[in-house]
Amino acid sequence: MKRVMQGSLLLLLSFALILSACGGSNNKDNNGAASGNSENSAESGKPSAAEDDGPVEELIVAFPIVSPDLTGLQLVEQEMNKITESKIKVRVKFMPINAGEWLQRTNLIFSSNEKLDLTYVHGTMYSNMVAKGMLSPLDDLIGEYGSGITASLEQKYLNATKIGGKIYSVPSVRDLAGSYGYTIRKDLVEKHNIDMSAIKTLDDVANVLQLLKEKEPDRVPISTGGTQSFRDVYKFYDELGDNMGVLPHYDNGLKVVNLFETQEYADFVKRIREWYKAGYILSDAATNKLSLVELMSSGKVASYIGMQKPGFDVQETKNNGVEVVSAELNPPYSTTSNITLAMWGIPVHSKLPEKAMKFLNLMYEDENIVNLFSWGIEGTHYVKVQDKIIKYPEGKDANSVGFNSLQWMFGNQFKAYVLESNDPEIWSKMKEFNESATPSKALGFIFDGSNVKTEYAAVSNVINEYKLSLETGSVDPDKILPQFIDKLQAAGIDKIVAEKQKQLDEWAAANGVK
Amino acid sequence: MKNQYRGWQVASHLVLGLFSLACILPFVLLFISSITDDKAIVRDGYSFFPSEFSFGAYEYLWKNSDTILHAYGITILITVVGTVTSLAITSLLAYPLSRRDLPGGKVLAFIVFFTLLFNGGLVPTYMVYTKVFELQNTLWAQLIPWLLMNGFNVLLMRAFFTNTIPTAVIESASIDGASEFKIYYRIILQLSLPILATIGLFQALAFWNDWNNGLIFINDPNLLNLQNVLNRIMSNIEFLSMNSSMGATDALAMLPKETFRMAIAVVAIVPILLAYPFFQKYFVKGLMIGAVKG
Amino acid sequence: MNTEVKRKRINLRRYIPLYIMTIPGLAYLLINNYLPMFGLSIAFKDINYAKGIWGSDWVGFKNFSYLFATSDAYIITRNTILYNAVFIVLGLGFAILIAILLNEIRSRFSQRFYQSVMILPHMISIILVSYLVYALLGPATGFVNKTILPMLGVEPISWYLESKYWPYILTIVHIWKGAGYSCIVFLAAIIGIDREYYEAAGLDGASKWQQIRKITLPMISPIITMLTLLAIGRIFYSDFGLFYQIPMNSGAIYDTTNVIDTYVFRGLMQLGDIGMSAAAGFYQSIVGFVLVLVSNYIVRKIDRDNALF
Repeated sequence: MKRVMQGSLLLLLSFALILSACGGSNNKDNNGAASGNSENSAESGKPSAAEDDGPVEELIVAFPIVSPDLTGLQLVEQEMNKITESKIKVRVKFMPINAGEWLQRTNLIFSSNEKLDLTYVHGTMYSNMVAKGMLSPLDDLIGEYGSGITASLEQKYLNATKIGGKIYSVPSVRDLAGSYGYTIRKDLVEKHNIDMSAIKTLDDVANVLQLLKEKEPDRVPISTGGTQSFRDVYKFYDELGDNMGVLPHYDNGLKVVNLFETQEYADFVKRIREWYKAGYILSDAATNKLSLVELMSSGKVASYIGMQKPGFDVQETKNNGVEVVSAELNPPYSTTSNITLAMWGIPVHSKLPEKAMKFLNLMYEDENIVNLFSWGIEGTHYVKVQDKIIKYPEGKDANSVGFNSLQWMFGNQFKAYVLESNDPEIWSKMKEFNESATPSKALGFIFDGSNVKTEYAAVSNVINEYKLSLETGSVDPDKILPQFIDKLQAAGIDKIVAEKQKQLDEWAAANGVK
Repeated sequence: MKNQYRGWQVASHLVLGLFSLACILPFVLLFISSITDDKAIVRDGYSFFPSEFSFGAYEYLWKNSDTILHAYGITILITVVGTVTSLAITSLLAYPLSRRDLPGGKVLAFIVFFTLLFNGGLVPTYMVYTKVFELQNTLWAQLIPWLLMNGFNVLLMRAFFTNTIPTAVIESASIDGASEFKIYYRIILQLSLPILATIGLFQALAFWNDWNNGLIFINDPNLLNLQNVLNRIMSNIEFLSMNSSMGATDALAMLPKETFRMAIAVVAIVPILLAYPFFQKYFVKGLMIGAVKG
Repeated sequence: MNTEVKRKRINLRRYIPLYIMTIPGLAYLLINNYLPMFGLSIAFKDINYAKGIWGSDWVGFKNFSYLFATSDAYIITRNTILYNAVFIVLGLGFAILIAILLNEIRSRFSQRFYQSVMILPHMISIILVSYLVYALLGPATGFVNKTILPMLGVEPISWYLESKYWPYILTIVHIWKGAGYSCIVFLAAIIGIDREYYEAAGLDGASKWQQIRKITLPMISPIITMLTLLAIGRIFYSDFGLFYQIPMNSGAIYDTTNVIDTYVFRGLMQLGDIGMSAAAGFYQSIVGFVLVLVSNYIVRKIDRDNALF
């Protein structure tokens, strides 16, 4: 045994040596990057006309994709480089990552300092990424090279991304607010003469559900999709990033409360429980894994609730394969989460932050770039019908055209062409929608949970344990809700709420919000 | 004596038959589900006797048959090369460890064993392979990380060597002047075909079923193996339907969903199922030869 | 003295080829397992990507505290250990039984058929297994609730909301999925046993049962011991897919389905903190390590040859 220990000790020692050698070289790398950065920022102080005469440099851009076929994207890359090489001396290299693998892959890329200059940033990861030092602050770069960004994004939206007074990511221009509504199959509305304009509250919805239950015994009146609960699709408060400590009614005098202890929450889960007992909801709602698209297209489910925006019915009709209509339940509110949902940031290790910003600026300024990202190449992937209205080439559809992207993430969508089958006025309506939205009092506040990580992990577990069964009505709230609240407290939710309140107060003071 | 013999036969067939049934029925259900209409599954759940059939999932796969055949090629190549290499280095390490007289043998065994319990985790391993060896986006990445050899198999093989090969055989060969390599090749390997076949099978299944390496190391679609390609299609469909409220894309409505998983499993399993009897012929033969000589 | 040193040197030279044989394997372990072990330090750090792994601050045991933060700590530890204990005993036991029975089968064809079929569950991904289990146990459409229970006149059961059934369900799924695969090792061991032992025993009039007890089991006991020792080392780990996918992540049955790995996964889903996940792995490894050292020590006391090292 002793020999074994000695041997392994020796081995460990030698590894320690090897490792410290690796570490040394790594540090050097980091220093190199850092000094490179400072040089660059020194340069960026001056007007850099000279730089544009410099060599064409390769810029690596990462974003999620959903199509296994990359040939269309390669064509787009070539086409885009024709523009960027002449305009900003940049050759773009796409790093497309499958959407389902996004989190895991980017985590690895960041932790191993792989080369990356511009990346899509997902809202739920944003404050974490900044807290862990993954992203560079962008304020100076936007001031210098971001005229297209500031022209298409109002300052209030850019401010909403600030953490500690600095912008670390730029949101894409799309629906930057959310309303909640009730969506139902159109054929059922016509068959039973349902007055959609009369549906304004959950009580009205309940009436419709009762009617559906009686007249349509073969269908489940209402459902959520996949692993969602009814609260996920019907919010009546500002979730402040994560639902642990929220702002009821988007205001509450900036007092953060524990959502699960509020009367509104208790009422809500009781209502859902009644729906469940009345048979309005899938009996296996707590374990259902089927998406809404599957439930709707198969005809099993008649209606659902969800976050909406202009053009929602057209989009949903297309996804579901059956025609649907919607009624608004809650008017649009604008919260930080709405805005930070899809953004772009520059990794801290990028050696070309200026060029990255110049390219990002083009994504907001240059119609051609926006449409290359959104629709592919004219003539190959789409043809123009009118000025900004397009359709798929003869004999092709979305599946066979060979190019598919998640359009909402690419820069300024208001510059994107509109498919023939869509509302041609969609972007002006969207703009109106954004402007009409009531801003949450905490719009622009972003919580950093790194001081309460231990509680965060414990509370996450408790929420996971109770959320779905309570919020789909599968269990009795009179019995389970008190248990849930006790366990949340034992896990330390009050500490998270207090920390959030502290940060919110600081934020309010710094931004003059009262 | 004879009665007893028959009794054992009947009992064995009974137990194994029942267990085999439990193993095969789910697979039949899997196959039937893969040719059931999506809508029927959502409505009525899985069933051995579905009301509506649809080959939508297979049609979609057929449309991508170029990609899938290519991926089959990668998988087969990796599985064959990987299994052979793996057997070689595993047995080369296991044999010296099995020699009780080898000085430092216990330390070496401990070094092997230690890797079974402690590991640096995903991120550090990724860093070693991408920063030091730059394996990303090469076929090596499908072959080497995590899969090529594991301590468990080494220790397993060592235990077989120690227990089935009499020390006297090695000693006498050694006295006859055979070199260690000759002993390893001529005696050890020949005498331990059962365990070689077993570990070969374990390794082959590990290579065939692996999707992790392709997921984290490979961007180039031409280097993806079968599991990668199938998983990628699946995960994309899932992402689309879960995020449909974001206005995903038009492509969504046309894709088969629920049955797709099943079809994918069938596509990945059937070749193994077809190849298994052939493989097994050699496997059992290996076992028998080992038994006769041992 | 001098001659002894000399003899030792000659002896050592004899072993050089053996050491050379170990080089490829050890090199692979060095690269694949030992080099990345610098990652163990992540468990004690607050990782900041701007500073890199090396430059990040040390935080002592702070990353570990969430593992013990709530009353769940007891439940997940209890579940992990109990499930693993049951899996070791029943899983190995069933695999050995199957291997022995397979060896008894005289018909080549049947033997081959059973073996091929029994490996099928190993080939199906755990997500699909969860769908198959759901097809059986689903509350509305499941085969059990729809067909079997009505036939017996029993009310339908909400399987996914009642924790008391899950220890059995998970154990059955585990054995179903793994038995065909793990019996291969034992089959190889049994086939390796010299036929002469059985012939001699048969002549002495020993029954089949006696032969199994007195010959087969003792002959494969080194393999059983080794596999048990290795399984003990992983007693704080659990098959994540089995415990996360099969119960469909249903909160109401966490009491009997939550284990350390699922707890860590659910706790870190939003945080994505590699320091905290490394801490969990480190904790699991250390406990397993200590347990193996102790049990290996005991095995060595009983039978030196069966010990791992």
